[in-house]
Amino acid sequence: MRPFDERYHTALEDPDVRTGLTAFQRGWRESRDAAIADLEAQEGRSFDELRQELAAIKDDVIANWDRYLDEFTANAEAAGAEVTRVATPGEANELITRICRDAGVDLMVKGKSMVSEEIGLNHHLEAAGITPVETDLGEWILQLAGETPSHLVMPAIHKRKERIAELFERVLEREFPPDDIDRMVKVARTELRERFLASGVGLSGTNALIAEGGSVMLVCNEGNNRMSVALPPVHIVTAGIEKMVPTYADAMKQVRLLGRSATAQPITVYTNFVTGPRPGQRQHILLIDNGRSAMAEDPEVAAALRCIRCGACANVCPPYGVVGGHAFGHVYTGAIGLVNTASHHGIEAAAGPQSLCVSCGACATVCPTDIPLPTQILEVRRKVVEARAPAPCDRATHLGIAAFGQRWLVDLGFRAAGIVTTPLRSDGVTKVPRWLAERPGLRERVGWRTPPAVPLRPARDRLKRGKLDEPPRLAAQPLAGRTVQLFLQCLSDRLAPDIPKAAAELLRAAGADVRLPREQHCCGLPAYDAGEQDAARAMVRQTIATLEGVDDVVTPASSCLAMLKHDAPHLLRDDLDDLERSQQLAGRTYDLISYLTAGPGRLPAGALDDGDATPVTVHRFCQASNTLERQDAIERFLRDVAGVEVVPLPEAEVCCGFGGSTSVRNPELAAGVLDRKLGCLDQTAAPILITDNPGCILHLRGGVHATGRQVEVLHLAEYLARRLPGAAVRQATA
Amino acid sequence: MVGDAGGQEAIISTPDGFRIAVEAASSRYLEVGDWDAVIAHLSGGAGAGDGPDRAPIALAPSLAAAQPDLVDRFSEAGFTVVVPDGDDPAAQVADVPVAVVRGELAVAETGSVLIAEHALGDRVVTMLCRRLVQVVDADTIVDRLEGAADWLRERRGKPGFASLMTGPSRTADIERSLTIGVQGPDEVEVVVLTATPGGVHEA
Repeated sequence: MRPFDERYHTALEDPDVRTGLTAFQRGWRESRDAAIADLEAQEGRSFDELRQELAAIKDDVIANWDRYLDEFTANAEAAGAEVTRVATPGEANELITRICRDAGVDLMVKGKSMVSEEIGLNHHLEAAGITPVETDLGEWILQLAGETPSHLVMPAIHKRKERIAELFERVLEREFPPDDIDRMVKVARTELRERFLASGVGLSGTNALIAEGGSVMLVCNEGNNRMSVALPPVHIVTAGIEKMVPTYADAMKQVRLLGRSATAQPITVYTNFVTGPRPGQRQHILLIDNGRSAMAEDPEVAAALRCIRCGACANVCPPYGVVGGHAFGHVYTGAIGLVNTASHHGIEAAAGPQSLCVSCGACATVCPTDIPLPTQILEVRRKVVEARAPAPCDRATHLGIAAFGQRWLVDLGFRAAGIVTTPLRSDGVTKVPRWLAERPGLRERVGWRTPPAVPLRPARDRLKRGKLDEPPRLAAQPLAGRTVQLFLQCLSDRLAPDIPKAAAELLRAAGADVRLPREQHCCGLPAYDAGEQDAARAMVRQTIATLEGVDDVVTPASSCLAMLKHDAPHLLRDDLDDLERSQQLAGRTYDLISYLTAGPGRLPAGALDDGDATPVTVHRFCQASNTLERQDAIERFLRDVAGVEVVPLPEAEVCCGFGGSTSVRNPELAAGVLDRKLGCLDQTAAPILITDNPGCILHLRGGVHATGRQVEVLHLAEYLARRLPGAAVRQATA
Repeated sequence: MVGDAGGQEAIISTPDGFRIAVEAASSRYLEVGDWDAVIAHLSGGAGAGDGPDRAPIALAPSLAAAQPDLVDRFSEAGFTVVVPDGDDPAAQVADVPVAVVRGELAVAETGSVLIAEHALGDRVVTMLCRRLVQVVDADTIVDRLEGAADWLRERRGKPGFASLMTGPSRTADIERSLTIGVQGPDEVEVVVLTATPGGVHEA
């Protein structure tokens, strides 16, 4: 496979990839959500219950692998199959070649098999003089084009119909109008039919191995998989051993979730249960390990073996929507590819695509086996960092993270930057002079996103006690007599000090005594995100020590809340003492919206209704939706408490593309994801965009500014502070 | 949102639920009394032809073996009946447009028909003919996929090839655009026999 950087840039340069995949993702989302809602109604159970049930079945298999493999083997052999366990791709390829040679076969028809891609079977067969013919339409298109699948279920989804028509015209020497998809699809029947009948061997993958019956379950829609299996005199099954399920009833539970998650179908057209060969046929089943037993022993990634290869994780992944599977993954694509590639193809193959994940957490919400993909991706990223696998700017990131751990250094750096950039500071942004903006390294980073202004003084200076005005008072005082520790967030402290300042003002207006723990610095999220877990642990411990003790902790940064609630317990799991401290802290830490709606700061309806009815729209910070499971809390609050009209933002919960280090390392990718978000924003025509994560705000503000859009991007706190009694007067005199 | 059915209780009603699911899968649904009605149905309709023009029809070998009279009854209605067997059954059905098979059971939840097709002759008729007629007894319709799992479990350890078939073959591999009729049949009819209670064979 070509190097990652090359694959990444090829994908960016092909305009078809992004337009095609974004349309695909949107269409899939709508139909999949409807299919899952139907399933929930049919079963009278939630998606979460159903997927946890399937996850438990798969976990039982992973924990008792040998027993189930033995049971399957005994039953399949009783039905006449020859079952072989193979450890490596090399062994598998040699065995398959030998079977073909023994049968005197030089043409193989193939049903769709990701495992055969994993082991590189086609190359091996061709070298041995055996011609493999892919018979799945998508796989066949790719074979004709000399490409590999970019998606687990829709292998050719990156190719537009015009390209496929061109390909068919070239290869088949006939005319193919690009709008006649029907004609292109149906040519597969005529071209492939005789291959099925002429071939001496058919090869398939498997969707499930059923231990109690020795059956191989195969699903397909086109019918090609069945024909590959059923017609030739030799049938070879390539099966990853993680495909095992104990019973037929378990397989049906998988069927219910697989079709809906893959293609929004209640069931695929064909669900075949193949038990042994037909009369006159030989059947060879290869149970392939290739790193799977090692995964089962590794608690960080074992759950990835639950995967049923539906592709849903790719279908909701915003970076996948920009670059597609050839860059976002290796042989296995999407979020699962970012996890299992390291186990099947080595840490170096897994390294490059790691930097494309924005950690938005969307994949985990749709996975039908409830794999904790975001956490697993960060564990693989840690291993990539530890192995020093070649990835761009690793050394620089490492040094940068180490420096970021030192609060005094960060403070000094930002104050110096504030002084240096003073002549460039203008209206909240840094105007980079043209000669500098054209330089390589900056060129691809500032053109599409104007950098924020670096203020002379951080928020912590502006919020010193004694420097604060007497706050305005709301009629409702839910926080009277309550002390609130404000966790500023490192980023807004230095780059968006108006955000914590507005949050403090709002909390004081509701009666709180707001304190600012002096030693606070960074929750550790940037380090965790970069795979630098030792540094992240040090920072999260420092944060816990700083905020420990009394009172509520409120932060205007939802990303820090996700870190403290969700990621800190994972990072500190080996130290029970620290784990307990982190959980105690998480229990009394809120982001602003949860504090004002579900926490002690609950404000009554109309409390912030100042009569201004300018419509607004809301971007939902992705981790708040996907990790903290917050849905429309901000929208409801704005309607009920501020009395404002909220225009729904299409794809409100889809990541904006900031993604922490992603937008630094892969600015082109971040720009692509941002572009999708701004396109949705345009549809609302709202003059104000509200969200509550400072990273998103800086990213969105920069994008809005660089594209000349007339939209004000505000943190929820900033927007609400404007609606406090006397706010207009204070602003005018400030 | 989740309904209030609670527990594992399914809210699928057989057989009306079966009909709805069959049609949702782009198959045609038909209820008839017995095989005579099936033959009459296949004799009529556009494109069926008449007398010597009538298109040949393939019967699954397992069906012809279980109900040998069917071959004669289709022949009497003017069909050239092909029951593929021997070394090259695929060649025998290559130009036969219609195939008739019998389902072991049907699943209301998904609109699927479970077809057992162990022998090569049984496989070629479901795979190669353009129009597939799946005949199933009304009293073999089960509510849920678990009913099909029970059937499979009862036969575990024995060689076999059983397929839940749900609609005509299809693909969305090009730009996610749905096309019906790809490599397998492009027209599927599910015919439910209402007048053969409990019997796999007619008298």
